[in-house]
Amino acid sequence: MSFWLDQLVNGLTTGSIYALIALGYTMVYGVLQLINFAHGEVFMLGSFAGFGVIVAAGGADVSGPMVALVILLALVAAGAASAASATAIERLAYRPLRNAPRLAPLISAIGVSVFLSHLVDDGFLNGEGRYYPQVFPADTIEIGALTISYLQVFLMASSVAMMLGLSYFIRSTRTGKSIRAVSENRENASLMGIDVNRAIVATFIIGAIMAGFAGVLYGLFYSTIRGSMGFLPGIKAFTAAVLGGIGSIPGAVVGGYCLGLTETVGRELLNEIPGVNLPNEWRDVIAFGLLVVILIFRPTGIFGERVSKRA
Amino acid sequence: MTKRGRASAWLWTLLALLAIVAVGVAACGDDDDDDDGGDDATKGFSEAGYKLAGFKEVTIDSGAAVKIGISSALSGDVKGLGEPIAIAAELAGDGVTIKGHKIEFVREDDLCSPDGGTAAADRLAKAGVVAVVGPICSGATVASQPQYEKAGLTTISPSATAPGNTNPPRSEGPYVTFFRTTFSDAIQGPTQAKFAKEKLNAKTAYIVFDTDAYGTGLRDAFKKAFEDGGGKIVGKPEGFAKKTTDFKSIIANIKKEKPDVVYFSGFYAEATPFLQQLRAEAELKNTPFLTGDGPKNDELLKGAGAAAEGAYFSLPTPSQKGAAFDAFSKKYEAKTKKPAESGTYVAESFDAATVIVKALEKVATDDGGKLKIDLKKLNEAIRDTVLDGASGKIDFANNGDNLGGAETPVSLWQVKDGKFVEIK
Repeated sequence: MSFWLDQLVNGLTTGSIYALIALGYTMVYGVLQLINFAHGEVFMLGSFAGFGVIVAAGGADVSGPMVALVILLALVAAGAASAASATAIERLAYRPLRNAPRLAPLISAIGVSVFLSHLVDDGFLNGEGRYYPQVFPADTIEIGALTISYLQVFLMASSVAMMLGLSYFIRSTRTGKSIRAVSENRENASLMGIDVNRAIVATFIIGAIMAGFAGVLYGLFYSTIRGSMGFLPGIKAFTAAVLGGIGSIPGAVVGGYCLGLTETVGRELLNEIPGVNLPNEWRDVIAFGLLVVILIFRPTGIFGERVSKRA
Repeated sequence: MTKRGRASAWLWTLLALLAIVAVGVAACGDDDDDDDGGDDATKGFSEAGYKLAGFKEVTIDSGAAVKIGISSALSGDVKGLGEPIAIAAELAGDGVTIKGHKIEFVREDDLCSPDGGTAAADRLAKAGVVAVVGPICSGATVASQPQYEKAGLTTISPSATAPGNTNPPRSEGPYVTFFRTTFSDAIQGPTQAKFAKEKLNAKTAYIVFDTDAYGTGLRDAFKKAFEDGGGKIVGKPEGFAKKTTDFKSIIANIKKEKPDVVYFSGFYAEATPFLQQLRAEAELKNTPFLTGDGPKNDELLKGAGAAAEGAYFSLPTPSQKGAAFDAFSKKYEAKTKKPAESGTYVAESFDAATVIVKALEKVATDDGGKLKIDLKKLNEAIRDTVLDGASGKIDFANNGDNLGGAETPVSLWQVKDGKFVEIK
C-alpha cells in the first residue's frame, strides 16, 4: 500500500513541475498562437540563477532559519532571471516575426531553444552537470502508510499556491484582463486602447516566473542541472498543455498532473500484470502513448472547447 | 459516422505500429547476456588474430615527435575521471626521448560513449599516433576495438573494466590490439559480492545499473557472484540511461523490497542524484550503498555531500603501493597539486603510457635521423612487457588482461567525513 502512495506522491511532484512549466506554454499560445519552444530553456536559466544564489550563500552549509531565506532568495533570483531572459527572447526572436508566416516564429523558437541549451552546456559547462546543494532539511512526515518529505510538501504546496495566484491575477487584475482581451482578439483589444505589446510581454514574464520557480524546485528535488535539462521537461510540459487543451490555464495544470501520474504510476500498474516487466525507461513510452490515444479521441485536449479563446 | 470510422482506422494503424515497435524493441533489448565470460585470463588468441590487425611500419621524420594518442573523456559527465587520467598518461612522456625524438601526446575526447570512441579512434589514426592510452570507458572501447585493430594501433586502457573487452563475442577471439592495466569486472564483481555478504551481512541486494557496456558487465558479474554465494537479488534490476536525474520511481521500488544492500553500477554523474534521492528516504537512510569504480571520484563527494557519507566503493586497483607509486605520486602532485590517491586510475594510466614508451625504446630504429617503428613489433613488445608499475605489477595475458601480482587486485573504500578511506 505504501508503495502505491509513494508512487502517487512521486507522480504528483513531477506533475507539479510539469504543470508550472506548462502554464507558460499555454498562456503564450493563448495570446500569440505561438508554441514557445524556448520555454524549457527559460526554465533552465531560472534553475541556474537559483543555483548561483544557493552556492553564493554557502551551499550545503546553510542551516536553520537561513534555509528559508536562501530558498526564498533563490526563487526570487530564478523568477527574475527567467523573466529577463523571456523578455529578451520575445523582443529579439519573436516580436520582429509577429506578422510573418506562422512557421517563422516557430522555427525561431526552436533555434533559440537549441542555441541556449548548447550555449550553457558546451559554451560554459563543457558538457558537465552541476549539483544543487542539498539545503532543504531531509526530514519526512508520516501519515499512516504515507511518508512524504518536507521537500515534496513544499514543492506541491508552493506550486499550487503559484497556480492559485496566477488564476487570481488573470481573472482580477488590470494586466490580467488586458492579457485576456488580447488573447480573445488582438485587433479589437488594441482598438479598445490596450497596449498589445505590453500585454504580450506581461504574458511572457508571468509564464517565465512560473518556469523559473519550477527550475529551482526541480534542482532542489532532482539535484542535477545542466544546459540540456530544459529539453525533456519542456517537451513534456508542452505535452501536458496540449493534453489539457492548449490555451486553457486549468487545462495546463490538470494536464501536468495527469502526465506526471501516468509516467510514474503507469509503468507500475502495467508491471502488476503477470509476465509484464517493463524497465524504467518505459515511463515515457507509456506517457506519450497515452497522449496519442487521448488526442485521437479528444483532439482538442481535456479542456478542449476553450482552445485559443481564453488565456 | 465517417469521422468516427476514420478515427478508429487511425487508432488501429497506430496500435499495429506500436506492436511492431514493441517487438523490435524486445528483440534488441536483451543484448547483454553474452558478456559474462572472460574468467580465463590466459584464453588466448590465435596467430589468426595477428592477421586481422592492419599493422604498418611508421616513419617519423627527423626532428618530428613520436605521437602517442590518448582517448579519454575530456568533457561531459565523465570528465572528472577522464581529465586526471589524461594528465597522468602525459607525465610518462616527460623528458623522455626515443632516439632523439621527443614524445608528443595527442588528446582526443571520446566522451565515454560508443560514438565518441569511434570518432576519437578515427581522429587519432589520422593524427598518425603509434599507440593509444585508452579508451577509458568500456562503452567506447567495445565500439572502437575493430577500428584500432584495422589500423594496427595498440591501445592500453587504464580503466575499461567490462569483462567483454578481453572476451569479445566473435569467433576470431580477443583483439590483439587491446590491453588493459586495470582488471576485469569478472574480478571486481565477485569481490563486491564477497564484501556484501561477509562484511555487510547482506542476504538480499537490489541492483540499479547504467545500461552501457560497463554498467551491464559489472552488474552481471556482481549478480552471478552474489547469487552463487547464496544471496538473493530482490525486485527487478533497474536500468537507467546516462543523464537520468529522476530516480524517485526506482527508489519507491527499492523501498518496497527492503534490500540489505543497494548495489549500483554506473558513473558518478548519475550516482550523485541517486544517492541524494535515496538518502532523502527515511527508511533507506542507513541501507548500505555499494558501488564500483565509476562513482569513486571527488566529483561525487562534492555533488552528493552528506548523502555520500558511509557509501562503499570497490576499485580494481591493488592496495599495496611501492616505490614506483611514490615516484609517480610526486610527479602527479607537482603537476596537479592534488594527491595521486585522489585520482581514480591515474596510476594505471601512467603505467599504460610507460609500457608504450618502454616498448618504443625497444623497437624504434634510427634510419639516418628518421625513426622507423614497426607497429607489429611494438604490439609484441607491449605484450612481452613486465613492469613493476605505479599501480602494481603489469604483466599482460594473451587476451590483453593484466595478470597483476596481488592476490586480489581490488581495493575497497568507504566515505568517512567526506573523504574516501580504504577498508583494510
